[in-house]
Amino acid sequence: MKTIPTLREKKRYLAFRIISEETINRGVLTDELLNSISSLFGDTGASEINPALMSYDGGYGILRCQKDRTSDTRAALACINKVGGGRVSIMVLGISGTVKGAMEKFIQQRLVKEPEPDKE
Amino acid sequence: MPLFNAKFYDLMVHLPEEMDSLARFAHAAKEFGYSGIAALDLKKNGTDMNQLPEDFSLYSAIEVSGKPSKLRDEIKKYKDTGDILIARGKDEEIARTAAETERLDILLQPVKFNNVLGKIAYDNSIALGFDIGSIIHTRGDDRVRELRIMRTNLKYARKYDLQMVLTCEPYSTYDLRSPREIASLGGLFGMSPEEAVGAMSAVPIEIMRKKSAGHIQEGVEII
Repeated sequence: MKTIPTLREKKRYLAFRIISEETINRGVLTDELLNSISSLFGDTGASEINPALMSYDGGYGILRCQKDRTSDTRAALACINKVGGGRVSIMVLGISGTVKGAMEKFIQQRLVKEPEPDKE
Repeated sequence: MPLFNAKFYDLMVHLPEEMDSLARFAHAAKEFGYSGIAALDLKKNGTDMNQLPEDFSLYSAIEVSGKPSKLRDEIKKYKDTGDILIARGKDEEIARTAAETERLDILLQPVKFNNVLGKIAYDNSIALGFDIGSIIHTRGDDRVRELRIMRTNLKYARKYDLQMVLTCEPYSTYDLRSPREIASLGGLFGMSPEEAVGAMSAVPIEIMRKKSAGHIQEGVEII
């Protein structure tokens, strides 16, 4: 059953890019994300943040969090320095209110922009 | 957000020892949103300025270390070279010596900072450094201790109106974090976004102005 609008929790979607030594698969990344959030804010904090990896394609991804905990989620993302033995750095590209918005505004735009230098 | 439209600098970059690391590092830093970096031991690396991206400034920094007496000598030795001088406050004695020595620029992450050191550091216009890299690279008890130290230091910095500097102390491009993320990591120990932005843009600019050739001395101006 659908939640009634007034009780629906407001969410934000963080578009991010992973810069890594090795390719990372989805399962390992999800584990590391949850591990980082619960080591930084504890189990209660993680339940408040309500994180979920909405989409991930090996380089770019979208992470869901609660509206008022975006700063904490950013901090937890920044704390990730190793995934599966390889060094990584996660760069948050932007925050949006919908998955579609995050995808169109931050990820697709970058993908369109990026091939240009190769053509020149 | 207009708050994050400033120019950001990281004043304590350890360059990797590989070839052309500087150019690669500079391009990565630019992508992360930095307008400049200060690299440690820059002269040893043999730099090629043409490879740097446009509108990107590069400065040189020196980390002074050792016993208190040696620390004082090192600061004297390097004070007129124009390099940014950074001392890490590993213990109380070193922090005390560093705070007492004029011409030091940044006292990084001092342990057991207190009101006496706060006053001295203010008199010598030494900025208090916060090492965000220690939050990123440690877990558990170690991170709790680092956050505790930073929380205390922030309290004294506010009380004695000390300048604050944030650095993520990168050893490689994988250690770099964007200014927004550093500001949110600063929020973990109570630093407001405004303070964090100041610590990454206004204070580094001020330190570099002090180090520039045209600057005479604090309190001296040409009329």
